[in-house]
Amino acid sequence: MTIVVGYVPTPEGEAALTQAIAEAKKSNDTLLVINSSKGDALVDNRYAQEPDIQSIEERLASQGVQHVIKQPIRGHDAAAEVLDAADEHDAGLIVIGLRRRSPVGKLIMGSVSQRILLEADCPVLAVKAD
Amino acid sequence: MDVWSSLMDGFSTALTPMNLMYAMIGVILGTAVGVLPGLGPAMTVALLLPVTYALEPTSAFIMFAGIYYGGMYGGSTTSILLNTPGESSSVVTAIEGNKMAKAGRAAQALATAAIGSFVAGTIGTTLLAVCAPIVVKFAVSLGSPSYFAIMMLALLAVTAVLGKSRLRGFASLGLGLAIGLVGLDSVTGQSRLTFGIPLLSDGLDIVVVAVAIFAVGEALWVAAHLRRTPLHIIPVGRPWMGKKDWQRSWKPWLRGTVFGFPFGALPAGGAEIPTFLSYVTEKRLSKHPEEFGHGAIEGVAGPEAANNAAAAGTLTPMLALGLPTNATAAVMLAAFTSYGIQPGPQLFSSQGPLVWALIASLFIGNLLLLLINLPLAPLWAKLLQLPRPYLYAGILFFATLGAYSVNLQAFDLVILLVLGALGFMMRRFGLPVLPLILGVILGPRLEGQLRKTLQLSAGDPAGLFSEPIAVGIYVIIGIILAWPLVLKLIRRSRPAKAMPIGYDDAEPGADHTVASVPPSTTTEATIPTHRKQEKP
Amino acid sequence: MSSAVTGLKGRAELGVALLLGVVGVLVFLDANGLVTPYSKSDPVGPKTVPFIVAGILLICAVMLAINVLRGGKGEAEEGEDVDLTHPADWKTILPLAGAFLLNILLIDWAGWVISGTVLFWGSVLALGSRRYIRDGIISVALSLLTFYGFYLGLGIALPAGLLEGIL
Repeated sequence: MTIVVGYVPTPEGEAALTQAIAEAKKSNDTLLVINSSKGDALVDNRYAQEPDIQSIEERLASQGVQHVIKQPIRGHDAAAEVLDAADEHDAGLIVIGLRRRSPVGKLIMGSVSQRILLEADCPVLAVKAD
Repeated sequence: MDVWSSLMDGFSTALTPMNLMYAMIGVILGTAVGVLPGLGPAMTVALLLPVTYALEPTSAFIMFAGIYYGGMYGGSTTSILLNTPGESSSVVTAIEGNKMAKAGRAAQALATAAIGSFVAGTIGTTLLAVCAPIVVKFAVSLGSPSYFAIMMLALLAVTAVLGKSRLRGFASLGLGLAIGLVGLDSVTGQSRLTFGIPLLSDGLDIVVVAVAIFAVGEALWVAAHLRRTPLHIIPVGRPWMGKKDWQRSWKPWLRGTVFGFPFGALPAGGAEIPTFLSYVTEKRLSKHPEEFGHGAIEGVAGPEAANNAAAAGTLTPMLALGLPTNATAAVMLAAFTSYGIQPGPQLFSSQGPLVWALIASLFIGNLLLLLINLPLAPLWAKLLQLPRPYLYAGILFFATLGAYSVNLQAFDLVILLVLGALGFMMRRFGLPVLPLILGVILGPRLEGQLRKTLQLSAGDPAGLFSEPIAVGIYVIIGIILAWPLVLKLIRRSRPAKAMPIGYDDAEPGADHTVASVPPSTTTEATIPTHRKQEKP
Repeated sequence: MSSAVTGLKGRAELGVALLLGVVGVLVFLDANGLVTPYSKSDPVGPKTVPFIVAGILLICAVMLAINVLRGGKGEAEEGEDVDLTHPADWKTILPLAGAFLLNILLIDWAGWVISGTVLFWGSVLALGSRRYIRDGIISVALSLLTFYGFYLGLGIALPAGLLEGIL
């Protein structure tokens, strides 16, 4: 079984990653970290840069978690990338971070977490930032 | 009329609510395009040329002035927050600025850049107001032979000194001159290079050429090489500086201004050399040399000031002699011509109110930039998240619209596409675009002066040397052209210490003037002295 | 690098030399075809400058060809949003050029609103956006807005084409 975590370099993303590491250690599963970007703008602060990825890599290694880190840029939104990865690896669990959004914001932007919650074929664990 | 009263008249024109609004639009637009990837002030002015036909020339130029200074400003914001300088002149700013931002001092870096630009811009504009009339006074006494020589100097200097490869510079110049030939000969009325197409007999519209080369060529080029991995922008609040930052900044601002203005005013000075010189000077004079390479505020303050002072300097030959020395000035000059205004020393007498309103609006634009940009910096940073399909499709859309609206002929769009493809090819194979544009603009004027000169001397080529100024300029041209040979000789006599000057044609793998700063540390800061930036 | 062995491969830049040469020859032939009686008031005549320009172009063509064959290379232009580590993406460029051509063909007949919509929508698509409906709405809005903006604001009447009478 694989655990898929949707990672973004924000407090919510960190919380999700921490939770996912704990889950992976508990069940001794492989952890698949997904950090994606649509890649359609010059700047995307939700796409983790090299040093960030490196520190995650080190963190996972030191915790002894089997892991794969993927950073797909294929023009898909984050929800699609996480769902894709979960499908492909037949994931047993998806971990995501939630952030508060105003109803208007949700209406305009849509919600990545909502789409994952509704469309995933496996259990989804949603955590909030402390 | 003396400078002061003319300038006050200029202010009274520029401060009308309507013109103030155009200054505001220009400043905001200029900053936005400076920030946006793939757009520069030259492209923006080119895109706006057709639209401004409906405006009064004065209003249009007030807006262009805002775009010119604003673009400079927006460029420094991205180089500090992203480390991706869009223009060669902000390469140096990025070195220390980005390090500062990474160390959590983005607000101070932006502040010293903004205030430094304001200080340098204001001093530079003052110098422009003082120097331009003097240059004009000197220039009106010159005859055709001297003009011919000066234009030759401007063309050759830009072609031979700027850019990495002289050969490719001359190739670009040749193409530009050829484009400039198209149409009816102004003296005999014979059609040249029209190939029997009546639509070509009016010549190629400079607006169409500029839009094609700067907007279409650039958009196609960027679209073909879109950066695939997104970058991070360093989050920033409102720029501000502490007392210590002020103390460390004010001298570099002034020194940067001193470097910037004269270089900007020279035919091939540009903004790259003075920003680099300022950086080196500040590093040497600094009380904190150990901070250089790790985010020293002097390394942002000085080059930014130099950059803006050079921008003001560039306008001196543009307004006083009708000689553009950078892309934006070239397009602005094209705008003068398309309004039927003859650029050159007569400009100050024939279009005095326009010129002084333009200069006054430079002061106003500078102030507006400071006022709107200090609070708006975080907002500008957000612009970078604009999806690119819209950005580049938008450039093509407005380029088409602009080129079409000049004559309402679909034929112009064919020219636009062909020259756009040429612009793409030039970017692909390292042909600089500036010589081409200058060739198109100055070529016909150069021919006019040549014919006038030889008409006066009844066909005797000695007429070209009939004025002392002209002879002096030919000597300078000779030195510029012979310079690489001299360098080669020096290099041969001192083979151990190869001079890393990139003027000769690039050999594969040849490294271009990349000096590590500072040599002892492990930082990746590099200073390419030429237009390209090495991406870490 | 032994240029003789590599031959023409990776020497696309020779095309630039060829272009310079062709333009140079054209300028020369065109100027040569001008008939100008010698006139005292214009000793230079309309031919001289074209001859010089043709000379510059031809010399540059030859020198560039030699430079390229010897292994010289023009450095592609970098920029904020330019990544030169991958080759030119023709899958983006050709559809873009296609949208542009379509606009040229349509503008006089179908009018700016239609051709502009095609241009923007096609370009956005070529550049990788996949939100067909939203992009379509934006394209139509932009074309209509510029049509009326130019007409009312600048007094420039862009062609209405097929929609004549409706707009």
